[in-house]
Amino acid sequence: MGPRKRTIRPFAAGGRRTIGSILILFTLFSALGLVLSTSATERSQHRAAVLQVAARQRTLAERYVEEVLSARSGLRANPALVADLLNESARALIEGGTAPAVNGDDDETVLSPTDGNVARAQLLQERRLVTDLTETGKAILAHDPVDSVPQTANEKVTVADPVQRLRVLATLSSNVSLNAARTIATRTDQDINDLLRLEIGVGLGSVVASLLLGWALIAATRRQGAHFRSLVRSSTDLVVVIGDGGCRYASESVSSMIGQPDDRLLGDGFMEFVHPDDRASVTSACSTAEPRQIEFLLSAKFGEWRHVEAHVSDLRKDRHLRSVVLNARDITERVRLEKELTHQAFHDALTGLANRALYSDRLNQALARSGRSRDPLAVLIIDLDRFKQVNDSLGHGSGDKLLQQLASRFAAMTRPSDTLARLGGDEFAMLLDGAREPEALAIAQRLLERLLEPVTIEGRNLVLGASIGIALHRGGAATAEELVRQADVAMYVAKRNGGAQVEVFQSTMGHEVGELLHLEHDLRDGLQRGELIVHYQPEIDLDTNELVGLEALVRWESPTRGLVLPDQFIPIAEATGLIIPLGESVLDQACEQTAQWLRDGLITPPFTTWVNLSGKQLSSGGVSDIVRRALERTGLPPECLGLEVTETAIVVEGPAGERALAELDDVHSLGVRIAIDDFGTGFSSLAQLRRFPIDVIKVDRSFIQGMEHDPKSAVITSNLASLAHALGMVAIAEGIETQGQRTACHDLGCDLAQGYLFARPGSVDQVTRLLTERRAEERRTRMRDVANDERVATP
Amino acid sequence: MVSARHVGRGLMAVTVVALINGSCSSSSAQPPTAGQRITVSLRDFKLSVSPTRVAAGSAVFSVLNDGPEDHEFIVVRSNAAVLPLRADGVTIDEETLEPTKIAALEPGQPGETRQLRVRLSPGHYTVFCNMAGHYLSGMHEDLVVT
Repeated sequence: MGPRKRTIRPFAAGGRRTIGSILILFTLFSALGLVLSTSATERSQHRAAVLQVAARQRTLAERYVEEVLSARSGLRANPALVADLLNESARALIEGGTAPAVNGDDDETVLSPTDGNVARAQLLQERRLVTDLTETGKAILAHDPVDSVPQTANEKVTVADPVQRLRVLATLSSNVSLNAARTIATRTDQDINDLLRLEIGVGLGSVVASLLLGWALIAATRRQGAHFRSLVRSSTDLVVVIGDGGCRYASESVSSMIGQPDDRLLGDGFMEFVHPDDRASVTSACSTAEPRQIEFLLSAKFGEWRHVEAHVSDLRKDRHLRSVVLNARDITERVRLEKELTHQAFHDALTGLANRALYSDRLNQALARSGRSRDPLAVLIIDLDRFKQVNDSLGHGSGDKLLQQLASRFAAMTRPSDTLARLGGDEFAMLLDGAREPEALAIAQRLLERLLEPVTIEGRNLVLGASIGIALHRGGAATAEELVRQADVAMYVAKRNGGAQVEVFQSTMGHEVGELLHLEHDLRDGLQRGELIVHYQPEIDLDTNELVGLEALVRWESPTRGLVLPDQFIPIAEATGLIIPLGESVLDQACEQTAQWLRDGLITPPFTTWVNLSGKQLSSGGVSDIVRRALERTGLPPECLGLEVTETAIVVEGPAGERALAELDDVHSLGVRIAIDDFGTGFSSLAQLRRFPIDVIKVDRSFIQGMEHDPKSAVITSNLASLAHALGMVAIAEGIETQGQRTACHDLGCDLAQGYLFARPGSVDQVTRLLTERRAEERRTRMRDVANDERVATP
Repeated sequence: MVSARHVGRGLMAVTVVALINGSCSSSSAQPPTAGQRITVSLRDFKLSVSPTRVAAGSAVFSVLNDGPEDHEFIVVRSNAAVLPLRADGVTIDEETLEPTKIAALEPGQPGETRQLRVRLSPGHYTVFCNMAGHYLSGMHEDLVVT
């Protein structure tokens, strides 16, 4: 089925067709009536003319007799003229045309040809009789015998006396002309009667048509009116019409909003519901001629004020209205939203504190005041320590709750004249108007003290420190940007110095911060130039003392800085996102190299090279694809590759945590092994540990290094190793430096170990050499064993 | 069937005999109650009567005005060859003839046929049209009632 074409019926078109057809009918009736009237009038005129001429014929016939008699007596007379008039008129009566004027009687008369058999027969008879009459008259005047005059009308007049004969003929012709006139009149009367009857019918038709027309017009007008009334009534727009005596009309929407019947709003009623402060502006808007837009408050049903925006149209010149019309809309929601948006634009949604924009504004205002008054002020930048770790391990929801609690704690310590703001992330700022160094330091110290009180998030007590930077302005001109940058630098220094401390900006600090930025720049370049290379640290089986694996460790061999250690550039790489390409590069190099050693026969599966994976890499996704590509490209068997993830990287809650789990599952299903690094330092629970596909637990070096002196560390190490075994995992001890540690680890159940005692991380060349030596030694040992065996076997 | 046909033929014979008797005895017997029919035609300017000799008793003039003019129809009992004229010299003096006037039809329009019922006693009658000049133009006829 194709789309059906729908006919649109505009409101204004309602009844238009009906009105049109009735109008046409009415016009037809009127025209017909007019034609009939004209026809009747014409017939009346014709009848009058015929009657006049016919009546005159009688007179003329009599006059003719008189003229003949006068002429015969020798008197002055003109019978021929009268005879002509008679004949001419008789002809005109039959054929139409002009009946001549009779001197002293009337004017000439125009006649139409006579139709109708009877009348025509009578007029023909008349003409014959007139001829006979005038011929007889002529005979008399000529003294001819009258009985020789032919009698053309079938009359058989036998009267001998010529004059009497003449009179008889005159009488006959008079009679017949009158008869004809009567016939015509009767017939015309009938015609006119018929016409009148028809006209009455037409008139009645016209009356009916006009009534219909009137009805249709009224109906159409009413319908149209109803349409527009319904529109106005159902419209949510508020329509108020204000005339001389106040409100003349208020739409239903107005009365329903105000909660009063509309008659209550008429007159002065409406203005009573306008806010007193707005009445003057509404009144003035209603009295100016040009259209304008006004906003005012209207008292609504439940006593609240609604914001109303009205367009005022001056229709006082419109003779139907003679009023001013207010087309208004309830904009309360919009106003509320605008206020909310304004608030949002200047406030932090999470904590409700001022945001960076409002902070900058306040700071600029304070600096402007200070520029005039030379009053000092202080800017504090407060950055939470270890917040990222909380966020990563407990999830963003908990992180947000923590920020909210700390924000309200800070807010409680803020004077009304100060501004507390959240600049973003875990960074807060304070503006202390009028504060000098001692006050600023005092407040900063109080903040740090308050932070020592633990915050309870989901049943855990957390204590977070903060690094606070202070920039002091001692009055006079300064820019907000400069002050915030200075406070930022001081905060950075506080953080670098271990956090949980306050630093006041000193001009020497700028250099330090600049150095960090420089480092980032160099790292980016170094990555592109291949300055980031991989070193490997061996892993030893504590039972057999065999080399069973290597941990790949990145090193930066900078041409300008020399060898840079991971501690120095990994945080920067993580902060700037460089960790992603960096991690990929390390993975590629490690796979490539391991595959090479495998091909060279220096190692045999399940020898494993472990590559560190940062939390950021894991949460950014695509790790399994990168690993798969690296394996395919280098041909390294998956069981020869292991990935180390930190505890904090896998305990992330929410979608990021789910993605991390999925990625690891994917990688693990390839055959790649997974180790959990620095185990025991994070917040991971046993349940979380079981969800992840983990093969190896690396016991953090802090436990290993403490175990010789601290019984607790030994217990923890023992427990961790037991836990690993219970879950079917392997336990590796990290950071073994002494023989004592080695023995203890072995005794406590650790399977593998790694540390300076065995080998420091070495370059590819160093490790290749080590592997080669190991290989040669193994071969020698095996040969010796074989030799011994042979010796034993040989009697 | 045969007997019915015989009966029908017998009835027909009786009817024919009756008709013959009627036509033969019309001159002597009483006229029928419906009256004799006398056809009159009026036409400019001739008045025709048929028949011109009728039996006394009821009679019906069936008067046709054949036009083209209006005509009237007057029946007077008169022996005179010429009826008396009024002073105007063109119409018959009906007032003088009033005692002998039997019946009259007022002027009628062409095309009309009118009936005039009369009882005629034996005698001499004149029928005529008295529209002005019509009598003198020849619109009269004699009628004899026996």
